[in-house]
Amino acid sequence: METELNKVAISPLTSAPLGRRQGDRALKTFGPINPSTFLIITLLLLLTLAGAIIVSVSLGATHIPLRAILSALLHRQPLTETQHTILFAIRLPRILASSIVGAALAVSGLMFQGLFRNPMADPYIIGASGGAALGACIGIVFLSQFTVYGFSATALLAFIGAVLTMMVVYALARSRGRTGGVTLLLAGFAVGTMLTNSTYLFELFDPNSSSGIRIVAAWLHGTIGVPEWKQLTATTCLFALAMVAAFPLMRRLNTLALGDDYAHQLGIRIEATRIAIILVGSLLTAIAVSLGGLISFAGLIIPHVARLIFGPNNVRLLAITAIGGALFLVIADTLARTVLAPSELPVGILMVFLGGPFFIYLLRKGKREYAL
Amino acid sequence: MTPLLQFFNVGFHYDERQVLSNVSFTVHAGTCVALVGANGSGKTTLLRMASGALAASSGVVSLEGQTPSKMPHRLRSRLVALVPQQLDIPFDFTVQQIVAQGRTPYLGLLRGPSQTDHLAVERALDLTDTADLRHRIFNELSGGERQRVKIALGLAQEAKLLLLDEPTQNLDIGRQTELLILFDRLRDEGITILASIHDIHLIPGSFSEAHILNPDQSMTSGMPADILTSENLSKAFRFTPGRFPSTFHQALAQEAQ
Repeated sequence: METELNKVAISPLTSAPLGRRQGDRALKTFGPINPSTFLIITLLLLLTLAGAIIVSVSLGATHIPLRAILSALLHRQPLTETQHTILFAIRLPRILASSIVGAALAVSGLMFQGLFRNPMADPYIIGASGGAALGACIGIVFLSQFTVYGFSATALLAFIGAVLTMMVVYALARSRGRTGGVTLLLAGFAVGTMLTNSTYLFELFDPNSSSGIRIVAAWLHGTIGVPEWKQLTATTCLFALAMVAAFPLMRRLNTLALGDDYAHQLGIRIEATRIAIILVGSLLTAIAVSLGGLISFAGLIIPHVARLIFGPNNVRLLAITAIGGALFLVIADTLARTVLAPSELPVGILMVFLGGPFFIYLLRKGKREYAL
Repeated sequence: MTPLLQFFNVGFHYDERQVLSNVSFTVHAGTCVALVGANGSGKTTLLRMASGALAASSGVVSLEGQTPSKMPHRLRSRLVALVPQQLDIPFDFTVQQIVAQGRTPYLGLLRGPSQTDHLAVERALDLTDTADLRHRIFNELSGGERQRVKIALGLAQEAKLLLLDEPTQNLDIGRQTELLILFDRLRDEGITILASIHDIHLIPGSFSEAHILNPDQSMTSGMPADILTSENLSKAFRFTPGRFPSTFHQALAQEAQ
């Protein structure tokens, strides 16, 4: 049996017109990057981060020459006692904290963007910021002298607040064993906004009056404090744990890009995968929040830029966004504490000025892509 | 001929609304079967039940003797692949990256793709003539290219049964013909196809069997040339037989000869 149509001469499939080929997009993504080039780029980025940390250590209200730091590193000549104190008790903890904050925000941004299949999602998207803000506010206003294992009450409560909120939001968005992406976003928005605004009440009843409010405001704008080494070690361990857990989820994120239905037919347990992604993403957000308050845009921009350069493969993006996020925040925080030295700009404010225009630029450029 | 997929008195309802009732038919291994019916007649629902995405409300769906919606996920995904009407990808994944996702059922959480997986992807690209498109971004492809890539994604899954939901939709006549040639090739590879199709004139040449889903939820089954008559179609699609578009007449008349 042959239809008339089958007899019609048609061009072989291979010679079908290919239309636009490797146009402007190819320039943007540099075409496919092979594994060894990718490894080299990753290592270079890691070296750049190490370099940025060393330079950042020397900068600040008291300048410590790079040469002195390097010769101390090589055990040639020890630093003076003041230099040693500034370096190890203040600058290094803060710089390491900012690199962890940057990496954690960028990776959780990557995970939430992949989960919601929306490149405009950020780590605070499902309400983490609200819970963290409320927790931190209670810590600042009522428990300012209290510390547990190097964690200030503020850091600890912010961490707990972020995790609890995301659990509540998730429970609210879940019905009949399924969790809709849009429902999750909207529930996150509602709960987050309620909690953020409830901090106003605490400010009213603040026994320390104005000073507490100022600290709360600085915290809400995002300021990386100087953590104790104990806190830094504990947070670093948590961060490492989250990264190890994130790695196998990256391939799952690639599959989820095809949509829930398709991922399901490929044998993926959607709900379990979703919970795992939310858990790890939340842990990372909480880590960042406990060290630096609410820093906008970092978690949104870093994965976005990484995706523009390296393509959307999440397995690769994990390493790139972690290192890129750390590098970006180390630079931003160094600027924040040096441009107006000896007074300081909250790094969150700096990020808003850098990130806001960039976000709008992306929005204008790719309107098509960001429909929810 | 061995039955690969069987529906026994299958019914389905979304909440209150009954979509399908008493559907029974068999798809034998190595055949190419068409599903015909008006919009909303339940073709997509039927395909989704066959793929295990939906469970039948009543009756039995059997895929090699097992119920698709209750089979272990991975086992099922190696047996059946559903190529959906729409595939929206939020990021700029390339064709190769998309097609490689078809190997997901064969990968572990930590184990990356092996040589076998790469070969399966290459084969899927070759069969669908999409190897030239591998570095193009999926979202920037034309409708016909996209359709072929979606089928390549299904093929990379190495399933025995390929379910296609309106594969010829929005394609021009040239791209539709390309697709029919591809179906022939897949059949030669031993792949079984169950496709819902609105373009009636394409069915007789490439499909060995057709099932019409009627508005009264009855079914008309048989050889395409026998059942795709203007009388049956006017019943299924609720139109006046005299106003049947002339091209359909010609294609069908040719078929009858």
